Amino acid sequence: MFEIVRYEGRRRARGTLALTVFVGVFALLIVGLFPSIEAAAPGLEAYVESLPEAFRQGFGIEAIATIEGFLSTEFYQFVWLLLLGLYMAYAGGGAIAGDVETGRLDLVLATPVSRSRLIVETYLSLVVPIVTLNAVTPLVVFGSTVAIDESISFVDVLAVHLLSIPYLLVCASIGLVLSVLVQRADAAQRGGIAVVFLLFVVDSATADTDFEWLGGLSPTRYYDPTEILVDSSYDVEGALVLVVAAFVLLALSRSVFRRKDV
Amino acid sequence: MAAIEVAGLTKRYGETVANEDLTFDVESGEIFGYLGPNGAGKTTTIRTLLGFQSPTAGTARLLGHDVRDEGDLLAAKADLGYLPGDPAFDGSVTGRTVLDYQASLKGDTRRDELLELFDPPLDRKIRAYSSGNRQMLGIVQTFMHDPDLVVMDEPTSGLDPLKQGLLNDFLRTERDRGVTVFFSSHVLSEVRQVCDRVGIIRDGELVALEDVETLLRRGGKRVRVTTREALTEADLELDGVVEFEQVGETTQFTYTGDYNDLLNALSAFELLDLEIDEPPLEDVFMHFYGE
Repeated sequence: MFEIVRYEGRRRARGTLALTVFVGVFALLIVGLFPSIEAAAPGLEAYVESLPEAFRQGFGIEAIATIEGFLSTEFYQFVWLLLLGLYMAYAGGGAIAGDVETGRLDLVLATPVSRSRLIVETYLSLVVPIVTLNAVTPLVVFGSTVAIDESISFVDVLAVHLLSIPYLLVCASIGLVLSVLVQRADAAQRGGIAVVFLLFVVDSATADTDFEWLGGLSPTRYYDPTEILVDSSYDVEGALVLVVAAFVLLALSRSVFRRKDV
Repeated sequence: MAAIEVAGLTKRYGETVANEDLTFDVESGEIFGYLGPNGAGKTTTIRTLLGFQSPTAGTARLLGHDVRDEGDLLAAKADLGYLPGDPAFDGSVTGRTVLDYQASLKGDTRRDELLELFDPPLDRKIRAYSSGNRQMLGIVQTFMHDPDLVVMDEPTSGLDPLKQGLLNDFLRTERDRGVTVFFSSHVLSEVRQVCDRVGIIRDGELVALEDVETLLRRGGKRVRVTTREALTEADLELDGVVEFEQVGETTQFTYTGDYNDLLNALSAFELLDLEIDEPPLEDVFMHFYGE
């Protein structure tokens, strides 16, 4: 058991390392910028007020002149919610379709491994980047915040990462569904990115309109870094919704994959 | 029990018929050649046999297990070795990593012994492998868990003649140990060298199923005769003369009839030279393809 997770996880190690370094450096940069932002606070707040509502909602712009508000706007909303969400959808999209396309899957399917086990373990290997990023980045964020003499709740930082795991799993699941539906890997990968981005846009654009319910289809509705960091309010229920959604999408992928001609 | 039983197996992709109503058995302990030109549907049959795709109609049993039932087929896969045509590996890992991974999925009782025969550079990344090395790595993973049934798709492609000979010897030894080999190929001479029986597939349909000896007998003999005066086709009023060709006084044809009739007919001419030998299997093959 878990031989596939081990092998596939190791294949993801290098990409995960590169991504973790990139994200860490970006976090340092954002935190390092904060002192000069704080100095420009009055003008900035007026600017934020003038932005359209949908834009503010989309990027969770709130209390931009506090370290919590600044981090959630410039780092978590952008990197975690959008970039990593897209990355996981992309990774999920390539997971099965990529190995089908190259023929690598044949050598695994010829062994006494069920398709069910194959897809579940492949999915679990996507947990490698999710866990690594969420283990390393909070330390970088907290450490660098302390280094610039700001204070931030370590518990909130941990929560923002912990609650992002279900969100990123859903994004990976969306990619995985496409990965078993579509024949070509690049189509599944691009499709995954497109779907997650579209859902993000729908959630932002429908905020405070009559169509706000539409945003309920988007995973971004159930994970709000700004709320966690600025208000210390944790949407545990939303996280549960995401966990269930990730599971349902995985089950769907599994059932499609079990019947699929490869 | 036959190692592979194929019963009415049909696979269509939309309008395209890749395999049409195939029925044949591969007996335990034989090397079965599955012969046909590229695009005839050989790989489709293999992929259906391994459960990679489900048949449109009919079915097959692998070591007694129904290929349409994944759970049932998994039981057969523990005793199955598979070498895909042009096997695909992850280029970013070493050959050793691939073998370790395969070992963790299906077991590994003979790796060292196999690596003495087929020796790809295990510590090099597969990206840097030649096609011959990739093929050797494929062969090692095919046999490393000592399977009872081996399915090989164009196994000699990429191998140099020396390694091809080695593989043929190895396959014969394996057969003598009781291993069943399903050997798909478009190269007739190699099938002839190693296979006991041959199924020939053309446009998705099985057009012949015979042992290699019979196939060659049915294919006739190649007769080359040089006479004092050139022969004409009419001079040889014999059944079983085909592909009559002539260069000067030398006549060549394929003969599938009775030898006595042939010699009687030839005795009327003054012969300078006479050769009767086996035709290249390619010519035999032409009988199934040529019109």
